[in-house]
Amino acid sequence: MTPKIIKSITLSIAGLLFATCSFAQLRLPQGYYWKQLPNGLQVLVIENSKVPLATIEIAVKNGSFTEDSVYNGLSHLFEHMFFKANKDYPTQEKLLKRTQELGAIWNGTTGTERVNYFFTFDRDSLYSGLKFLNAAIRFPIYRIEDMQKERVVVDGEFQRAESNPGFQLDFEVRKRLWTDQFTRKNPIGIHDIINTATPEKMMVIKNKYYFPNNSLLTICGDVHHEEAFAMAEKIFGDWESSGFDPIQKFPIPAFKPLTKDNYFIKESTIAQTPFMDFAWQGPSYLTDSASTIAADVFSTIVGLNSSKLQQALIDKGLASGVSVSYETSKYVGPITVFVVPNPNKVKECYDELMKQLSMWDDPDYYTDAQLADAKAILLRDDMRAKEKPSSLPGQVSFDWCSTSLNYYTDNTDDYQKVTRADIKRYLETYLIGKPYVAGMIIAPDLNKQVNAASFFVAK
Amino acid sequence: MKKYVFTLLVAATLGSIKTAQAQQKAYETTVDGVKVIVQPSGNNIVEIQTIIKGGVANYPASKMGIEALAMSALTECGTLKHDKNSFKDALDRVDATVYGYTSKDYSVIRMNCIKTDLDVVWPLYTEAITQPKFDTAEFSRIKQDAINSLKERDSQPDAAIDKMANQVAFANRDYAKEPQGTPAIISQLTAAETKAYYNSILTKSRMFIVVVADLDRSVIEAKVGQLLATIKKGTPVEMKKSFFRVYNNSFNEESRDLATNYVEGVTSGPELDAPDFTAFTIAMRIFANRHFLDIRTKNGLSYAPQAWFSNGATSVAKFSVSTTQPNKYIAVFDKLVDSTRKHGFTPAELADMKVTYLTSFYYKNETNGAQASSIAANEVLHGDWKRSLTLISDVNKVTLQDIDNAFDKYIGNIVWVYQGDIKKVDPTLYKNGTLHQADNPVSY
Repeated sequence: MTPKIIKSITLSIAGLLFATCSFAQLRLPQGYYWKQLPNGLQVLVIENSKVPLATIEIAVKNGSFTEDSVYNGLSHLFEHMFFKANKDYPTQEKLLKRTQELGAIWNGTTGTERVNYFFTFDRDSLYSGLKFLNAAIRFPIYRIEDMQKERVVVDGEFQRAESNPGFQLDFEVRKRLWTDQFTRKNPIGIHDIINTATPEKMMVIKNKYYFPNNSLLTICGDVHHEEAFAMAEKIFGDWESSGFDPIQKFPIPAFKPLTKDNYFIKESTIAQTPFMDFAWQGPSYLTDSASTIAADVFSTIVGLNSSKLQQALIDKGLASGVSVSYETSKYVGPITVFVVPNPNKVKECYDELMKQLSMWDDPDYYTDAQLADAKAILLRDDMRAKEKPSSLPGQVSFDWCSTSLNYYTDNTDDYQKVTRADIKRYLETYLIGKPYVAGMIIAPDLNKQVNAASFFVAK
Repeated sequence: MKKYVFTLLVAATLGSIKTAQAQQKAYETTVDGVKVIVQPSGNNIVEIQTIIKGGVANYPASKMGIEALAMSALTECGTLKHDKNSFKDALDRVDATVYGYTSKDYSVIRMNCIKTDLDVVWPLYTEAITQPKFDTAEFSRIKQDAINSLKERDSQPDAAIDKMANQVAFANRDYAKEPQGTPAIISQLTAAETKAYYNSILTKSRMFIVVVADLDRSVIEAKVGQLLATIKKGTPVEMKKSFFRVYNNSFNEESRDLATNYVEGVTSGPELDAPDFTAFTIAMRIFANRHFLDIRTKNGLSYAPQAWFSNGATSVAKFSVSTTQPNKYIAVFDKLVDSTRKHGFTPAELADMKVTYLTSFYYKNETNGAQASSIAANEVLHGDWKRSLTLISDVNKVTLQDIDNAFDKYIGNIVWVYQGDIKKVDPTLYKNGTLHQADNPVSY
């Protein structure tokens, strides 16, 4: 007993120091309140009385970035099993019944760097809702028979995605972009791994990542922060810390940079409209957070109707859609250019896109007015993003997992500070002349006419 | 900013009590003969929806797609004051949204902006509605985009199976018309023809306007008055309601190279003004929970089992799954329906659903856009926008007997459609039922 008591005290002191020192510079928007419990659990309360509801969310730094080929897809299966059975609700039927009694709207998601679980219900059900969440996150029950059924369900989700040509293309692009670390960027997983998962593997995940010191509890809505903190502490306060930082203990291997361009064409009878997808390895928050901000500003510029890109492809009828995006990530986020070409002008569309990409290092590729417009859009996007209270926990936790709370708070102001030099550095570091993956999905009949292989190749 | 996530499921639902607490009470006014419904929002976002009634009843099957293309042209083919690019660039600069879209029952021309940008955006919105140019070069471009979009949509399995279900179930009815049209029809439409069509439906008699924003009444009335000044009066239109009943089970299949198989069923539902409309709505919501529990939780047959009441001029109940075991699905489904008809729902299920409705009502009130859409739908379909705010009190009056009776009355024979591996499915199970009851192979 003694060592455990000493360990707990040490952790508590460490937690207090962590709370008072490391977070001394924590910045939060108005109405947001943060506290770290002695066990390491960070609790964020967002007071927003727009409607008399409360939304609670627990986010865990888990997801495909923690998965090698033996575990790929199991953070996602784990997320499903969260809703299956626990010590208070020993069957899913009873668990679902409880969500119905609470009148809850609920869901869970698994991405590359975050797994989250969230519930919205009447504000007066806050205590009951937190109790429910506590039982599910800390005391799950994994039965063989439950897992056998849920494996089929999760694989069914995978099969639904595979029935979609956009997913098929994206999946193949990601395989080539991340090469031997593909599993770290593939939340949906691998069929065989999903279909052979065991309760033991669920416990391995739980014992690595499901600890208060690797989690963020957010309580948002028509709530008072002091009451909410008190409830959180009462219910989650005895959840024991792991005593280690899971991400330090189980480090994430570095992504191997691409060495050359990689083109492929995938024929599919269900792709009634062709798609083209181009991807680069982009910035990491950990090593180049400034470029993650510049990336969003640049993506917004080239999304403007007036941009050279939109005018060349959309205005001229070469494509129905073209979008440039960067996925903010702690560990190397992808930059993608997704194009829906006019099926009658696939080659012309591709040639024009290549021409556009070749001009991205030209200082005149965008104007000062377009840079200002992009910033104005990002400012208004932030106002819109904050319109729906129940969506706020998910927005904050995404940044908590992939960047930081300060990043979330400063994000919109930081967009306003981006300069041409920032964008230039971003483009030169990650895009211009850098190897990329290019994929096209096209119906066999159309490909006979188009002969995509004659032009859609690495130069 | 882009995020990839895989979700457990979507449990969110829409239902409809009083306004959200930060909001003032909604009201209606009439400007130049057109109803204007205003919900003060309590925030700095402006959402305006101009509704044009009629939907698929406005055009013949040979011209389906024309209203969708007209809606697209309003903002993509220039106005008399702005070419397409200057119009879109002006909206971009203030991150505002102006676009039109159409459904089976009505079209919406939507505007969303930050309140401080209203004076920039409002003139563009009125131009799009009252002075669209239908520039021929731009029109050719949006036709090609519309065809691409149709094909892209048909590549999405959920959209494709629902389209197939509608076409089979609603054959020879207005609801068989696809608002987005077909590539063959779209390719033949001209700018002049589409403009003439748009002018024929742009009448005050077909319109009403929903405003969800904190704007003075006088400002709203002045702006709307300006919008309506050049729009002709027209003749009133009535919604053509059509009751749907299936007299025999049927099964239609289509081979598709998919990673799983998609099944959808269509059966009856109450008409919009039927006294048991609300009861059936609740019955289907509870049945959806049971369907989820039996199909997914207990039997692991599908990731996304769904059951819902699709209401409109023709209201129907629908069921859908994606599954690798379609024959097992229909057996479990048949037993579930049979059991529900024999034993009914439970008091706890009804009580819980009333609580869920309350959550859903406030959830919907979180955004101006969702509130406007709910008000618009209730005004078109029920002729009563206030139903968007009072549904909870109607829901609370519903009894267990009401929902049992409604389920029993409307859930009957089913039109089934299937896309995927046709070797995996036995159509006779869907056509004859799986309960093997002596006299009537189809027990419901």
